[in-house]
Amino acid sequence: MTDVAAPKPQEVPTKGLGPGFWPFAIALTVLNVAVALLIYYAPLDFFLPGESNEVADRAADIDALFKFMSAFGFAIFTYVAGFVIYFAIVFRRRRGEPRETIGVQVHDSPTLELWWTIVPVLIIVALIWMSINVWAKVQFGNGSPALTMEVIGHQFYFEYRYPGLKSSVYSNGEAMHLPLGEPVRVLVTSADVLHSFWVPEIRLKATAVPGLVQNVNFTPTRTGSFQIVCAEFCGVDHSVMQGQLIIESPAAFRKWFAGEQTKAVSAAPVSLAGGDAAAGKAVFTQKCAACHAIAPFEQKIVGPGLAKLTDDPKHPTLVDGKPPTPDDIGEILENGYTGPLGAMPNRQATGISDKDIADLVAYLSSLK
Amino acid sequence: MEAGMHATPALHEHDSDDHIHPPPEGFIRKYVFSLDHKVIGVQYFITGILFMLIGGSFAELIRLQLWKPEGAIMSHEAYNVVYTMHGTPMVWLVLIPLVTGAIGNFVMPLQIGARDVAFPWLNMISFWIVPLSGVVLFSTLLYGGAHAGWTEYPPISLQDGVAGALWCLSIILVGVSSTMTGMNFMVTIIKMRAPGMTWTRMPLFVWATLATALMNMIATVALSAALLALFLEHVYNVPFFDPSRGGSPLLYQHMFWFYSHPAVYIFILPAFGVISEVLPTFARKPIFGYKMIAFSSMAIAILGFAVWAHHMYPSGLAPWIQTPFMILTFAVGVPTGIKIFSWLATIWGGRIQLTVPMLYALAFLITFTFGGITGIFLASVPANLHEHGSYFVVGHFHYVVGGGAVFGFLAGLTYWYPKVTGRMLDERMGKIGFWLFFAGLNLTFLPMHWLGLEGMARRYASYEYFAKTHPDSVFWNQFATVSSFLMVASVALLAVNLIWSLRHGKLAGNNPWGARTLEWMISSPPPYYNFKKIPIVYDRPYDFGEPLPYRNLDHETDPYPAPTRASLAGPAPFPAGA
Amino acid sequence: MASAVKPLGLQAVEARYNDVERHYAETRDIRLLGFVFFLISDCVLFASFIFAYMYLRVSAPAWPPFVDGHQLPWFDTAFAALNSVVLFGSGVTMHFALENWKHLNKQKFNAWLLATIVLGIAFLLGQAHEWSLIKTTWQGSSMGASFFTLTGMHGFHVFVGVIYLTVLGFQANRGVYTGSKYFGLTAGTLYWHFVDVIWVALFFLFYLW
Repeated sequence: MTDVAAPKPQEVPTKGLGPGFWPFAIALTVLNVAVALLIYYAPLDFFLPGESNEVADRAADIDALFKFMSAFGFAIFTYVAGFVIYFAIVFRRRRGEPRETIGVQVHDSPTLELWWTIVPVLIIVALIWMSINVWAKVQFGNGSPALTMEVIGHQFYFEYRYPGLKSSVYSNGEAMHLPLGEPVRVLVTSADVLHSFWVPEIRLKATAVPGLVQNVNFTPTRTGSFQIVCAEFCGVDHSVMQGQLIIESPAAFRKWFAGEQTKAVSAAPVSLAGGDAAAGKAVFTQKCAACHAIAPFEQKIVGPGLAKLTDDPKHPTLVDGKPPTPDDIGEILENGYTGPLGAMPNRQATGISDKDIADLVAYLSSLK
Repeated sequence: MEAGMHATPALHEHDSDDHIHPPPEGFIRKYVFSLDHKVIGVQYFITGILFMLIGGSFAELIRLQLWKPEGAIMSHEAYNVVYTMHGTPMVWLVLIPLVTGAIGNFVMPLQIGARDVAFPWLNMISFWIVPLSGVVLFSTLLYGGAHAGWTEYPPISLQDGVAGALWCLSIILVGVSSTMTGMNFMVTIIKMRAPGMTWTRMPLFVWATLATALMNMIATVALSAALLALFLEHVYNVPFFDPSRGGSPLLYQHMFWFYSHPAVYIFILPAFGVISEVLPTFARKPIFGYKMIAFSSMAIAILGFAVWAHHMYPSGLAPWIQTPFMILTFAVGVPTGIKIFSWLATIWGGRIQLTVPMLYALAFLITFTFGGITGIFLASVPANLHEHGSYFVVGHFHYVVGGGAVFGFLAGLTYWYPKVTGRMLDERMGKIGFWLFFAGLNLTFLPMHWLGLEGMARRYASYEYFAKTHPDSVFWNQFATVSSFLMVASVALLAVNLIWSLRHGKLAGNNPWGARTLEWMISSPPPYYNFKKIPIVYDRPYDFGEPLPYRNLDHETDPYPAPTRASLAGPAPFPAGA
Repeated sequence: MASAVKPLGLQAVEARYNDVERHYAETRDIRLLGFVFFLISDCVLFASFIFAYMYLRVSAPAWPPFVDGHQLPWFDTAFAALNSVVLFGSGVTMHFALENWKHLNKQKFNAWLLATIVLGIAFLLGQAHEWSLIKTTWQGSSMGASFFTLTGMHGFHVFVGVIYLTVLGFQANRGVYTGSKYFGLTAGTLYWHFVDVIWVALFFLFYLW
């Protein structure tokens, strides 16, 4: 039973906000301003690679966002942590104080609560505004690219495909090249499981999803050699799935590109005799169905639908103005394709054998 | 199948025992298949700690592996299993059982003046599913183990074979347990509060448990659905996620994260509740902004359902989807920030005792705020494109989980241990353990933030390429490894303390801390029926300057409870003399 | 700020808890709330797979999807509509069963309950027939994956419901329930209506959309 007659415990009053409160708050503010200045004027390459000499235009935009968030984040953190420590010291129970002593019995303060709701909301609104601006640049800011290329993730290497280059460039052995100063669109997809295409200095990252193509748009602003990192778990060798990106002058890039073009394509075309349509169907399901459906041409997944490939006059001409023949199909399966319809991997990338090619051609030709 | 139900009884002295069931008899009934929420709470605790030791050992294997850039102790294949079996048990067999199952079960019914939860049988079954699920989970190791992390994204996870299917089954099981507990707690809180305990007189830990239970009840089923779909694809080749037959890998991510984002609030809200109890008690003043804290708990629970796609920004979402999720993700930081400020105002002007629970609570304010701020960095889509899949994310979530949920849990453990056992924990061991953990946590996880920003990706069994261009990364990884052993030492010391104090701890009495919520009005440990007479409540518990707002208490109680001599910490946060 | 000792409504509280019948009503109230929460969580299970179906359908290049070069046909509404009427009818019969129990008409209760069970079994047989008409397989396409999983889960719920109602029938006839204490029957009716509501959603999604 409660007994109201018992003596109330002693409440220890506090003068103002506490001894040394304002000097401490001012000291923290000075610290925060100093750190903010440091963030904005000192090189931050340790935290953000390439910050003092940005590698891509988007990297500069994203870094501006990082700096804003860092300045405010540091300030909020120091205020909270600082006052936790300050209060723990200044408002501690003194040795020998009666056990039942109580603190200031205050429950709330509508004014204070209003302000500490409004100020964070304002900061958040500012952050949202800044983020949307940068986001818009990342998504839509590049206008029409000078170069569109494809990066296809595989277990456990990257494949780079360029328009006009019949064969792919592979990350196990070769680098991805880009010309300085020209807006580029990188189309990212995967041939098997999820991967990710990430160049830390460029900041942009895109998950490589099978059955889906993502855009990464930027303009390189500095030459150099940079790591391409797979940042989405993809299996046993995820940690050694790496590539190299070389950004070079446009002249050097064209020179490299020309060199790639002259690389010999395989000598004799694959023989299509004895192809088995049923076996071809199995290969199709395993290797091709992630990107192609057996459906009218318009039903694209990544590549166009392939129903009635040799028959249907609605199916566009691909190679020489006439509907594709079995030989044409074989050639594309063997060497891949880059052109207005996109880029398709060649046989090294898809890993199909001579027999597979023959079977696939038999199957695709049989779709009437 | 009637649920054994301890309803609120009549108030007259002579028939108040009508609704107290006879005590359980025999070892099995008392300690194994017990219906008593307090015993079940302890069972959850033991189970959670056991799995934490296993999950933590796997974490140390991770840190040892990363001692050398090319990987120091195991193959890539083994490492992938190790990191998966670190995260998976930590999330489902440690965090949720400890914060919800252990503390929630033991404390919540006491705080509302009830004799048990609404459905004690369901509670018992919910518990026993957890060790069963753990057995199924670790049986995956017999089949090569699951490799793709606690998220097990398809298509890669489909390469896990039998282990993958068993992994799905195990988590579906533990999900059922969570769902049932959520439902149980919700009904308990809604229907079984003591007379006079209106919504605004409930302790804040109960509010936190209510918000958590709501999320447990709704979100966990979505996880079961996602994993059921994955299981069907594993075992029956049903193409939910296979693009070649019309499925989508992105669909899994949507279904998975729809649960897994609320899940992180399930981890943290009970910890918030603990902080809201510990701070007033050891500052000897009311919680500041009770209504805002209660409201923001519910706001976080509801808003938390609307932000899941921020885990998927780079993954192929249509661009127009990213922006609303970004705005909502930023928005959900606001109620959390309000809480932090309210807690700061709670300790302002107090008479603070730096006991071990208070140290953990204060440390929580620091480390959780830090983790919350790195969360703001991740909320912004363009910044996230750089941070996703890197060690920055690993640093962030270990700060909010370790520096948030775990600190909150440890605050709760050290705060309520006297109530559970009747003994005080050793203060000196407690303080040494606290400083070890605080140092270990910060030193291990802080470097991960800049390692991630520099370009070190996560889930890497080796980082030789990164080390070539960033030679200092070797130092920082080794630094993190050494620091992690501080946490190991802390846990070892905690274990010693828990066990030693059972026999040798000072006797606690009913209310060693001078606290004001109902659990401190009964004996330590409480009798199996909790309250002989259900108390009547007529005000909020946090007004230290007022007499206790209860009538009909079982024991004669000082209207102005004060900390006992047994509990008084020295004013210093450092171990005082014995 | 109550420093006055008299708590609010103490007399009312005392009066309340002296009443044993009140106690039972409280108990039943708690079980009802628990059961409703269970049904809500079961809704989330269906909602998740419904989301999956909608996502796959909206993101597919064509619907119905193409399999082996041919577009799958739309589901045929006629038979499914008939089967739906059977299921909704069983909801009506269950409602009458419970009403009759409340009015202590045991024979009528038994008749309506039996009708419900029979209609439930008829629905399941109808579903089996409907499944045989579908032109794609569970593995063959996203359409098959969603359809068979969702209708299979629903059918499983109907099957469990049929067993549950049968058990309830035996219990009712053995005297487990009285005119005023029949929570099990309320729960069973609620569950059966829940199964109907889910079917409304599934029928709309697969046959009308």
